[in-house]
Amino acid sequence: MKVSSKPEDIIVTYSLGSCVGITIYDPEIRVGGMAHCMLPISRLDPQKAKENPIMFTDTGVPALIQAVLNLGGSRRRLVAKVAGGASPLNDNGMFKIGERNYTVVRKVLWKNDILIASEEVGGTAARTLYLFLDTGRTVIRSGGVEREL
Amino acid sequence: MNRRDQILEEIKLVPSLPASATEAVSIVRDPNASLTELEAIIECDAGLATNILRLANSAYFGGRGSISTVKDATVRLGTKRIVQLVLTTAVAPRIKPPLAGYDMPSGALLAHSVAAAVGAEQLAQELRLAAPDYTYTAGLLHDIGKIVLGTYLNVEAKPILDLAFGEGVSFEEAERQVLGIDHAEVGAELLTWWRLPDDVVRVVRYHHDPYAIADGDGDGIVTDLVHVGDHIGRLCGTALGADGVNYSVSPRSVERLALTPEITESVVGKVLGTLAELGEFFLQTESV
Repeated sequence: MKVSSKPEDIIVTYSLGSCVGITIYDPEIRVGGMAHCMLPISRLDPQKAKENPIMFTDTGVPALIQAVLNLGGSRRRLVAKVAGGASPLNDNGMFKIGERNYTVVRKVLWKNDILIASEEVGGTAARTLYLFLDTGRTVIRSGGVEREL
Repeated sequence: MNRRDQILEEIKLVPSLPASATEAVSIVRDPNASLTELEAIIECDAGLATNILRLANSAYFGGRGSISTVKDATVRLGTKRIVQLVLTTAVAPRIKPPLAGYDMPSGALLAHSVAAAVGAEQLAQELRLAAPDYTYTAGLLHDIGKIVLGTYLNVEAKPILDLAFGEGVSFEEAERQVLGIDHAEVGAELLTWWRLPDDVVRVVRYHHDPYAIADGDGDGIVTDLVHVGDHIGRLCGTALGADGVNYSVSPRSVERLALTPEITESVVGKVLGTLAELGEFFLQTESV
């Protein structure tokens, strides 16, 4: 997880697969951050979740929200975007980690009264996610092509 | 010469592994060879010895900071483990550089390879299966073909990506359709060229196609473990390539291993712990 209040910063997480990348940004005071969470539920390993809450989506997303609030962000202005949550072909539910990561993100954001402004999830492609701190603009690079999220 | 033959020729231009690695692999398979011979090979190479001690002292490989000599390491970890570490050290510089065709940054293939090797082993442990000792080695080397195929992929990226992401064809099948060969076969041919043991070569060749291995075949279990280990490796947050997670999960492996979603998730958790220990990080801040 990274948060920043420097407008010249770009936060990036490379090639998300089943992991989810979440960005939270306050457009008024221009602070924000990004988390890269790998596993849906911290119950899997509470010890590890304590050491590194960002590893798990259910503890990582609240930690990111809190970190942005600590920079002075206001809960009612926060803009959230989500990318990742891919699954392999024909996985028959064996590797539904991506799908569950996304479900948990939605749940945590909903509980915090934050709407998802835009998202690109699922499929089989890897996605690199950028957050530009000057405007809160987010960009996805996937298959050599860049697009706004 | 067609593209496939051209690629097969290219394999022979890849420099061999350091002699210490191939010697170590053959020594551990020779019932008459002694521990001292293995230790001598490692001690002859100061860089290798340093790396062996560093890996041997990690929690995953069991030393936990208490091993100070190569002799200690061979006695404490056993010769099979030591040979795996020798091979990891030899292979790491080959799979560390960026891979243009696969759009993988420096270190990405290495991180994925370690994740798959550890994933295959941890999966065996979770399933209480006795995995043969070459499971780790086969896991580490499963994608080695990408170091050769990457160059070709770079030129033919568009048709391969169109097939894979436009038509839902698995990535290795798209490689075969466009280039006449896939990274699994290229890897197997490269490892044969490097004189690595046949059982490792076979697992690498079929890691996307466990159906090719008959039920009851002793190698089948390793192929299944590496097939699933590869998928688990892709779920561990290491940088993925242009191929993303566009590979099929083999129902055959799922059935033979009696895999469940709970097991895969639990193994991903364990592999993540190991990768953290081996120094993974995912986020960077850049200034414009």
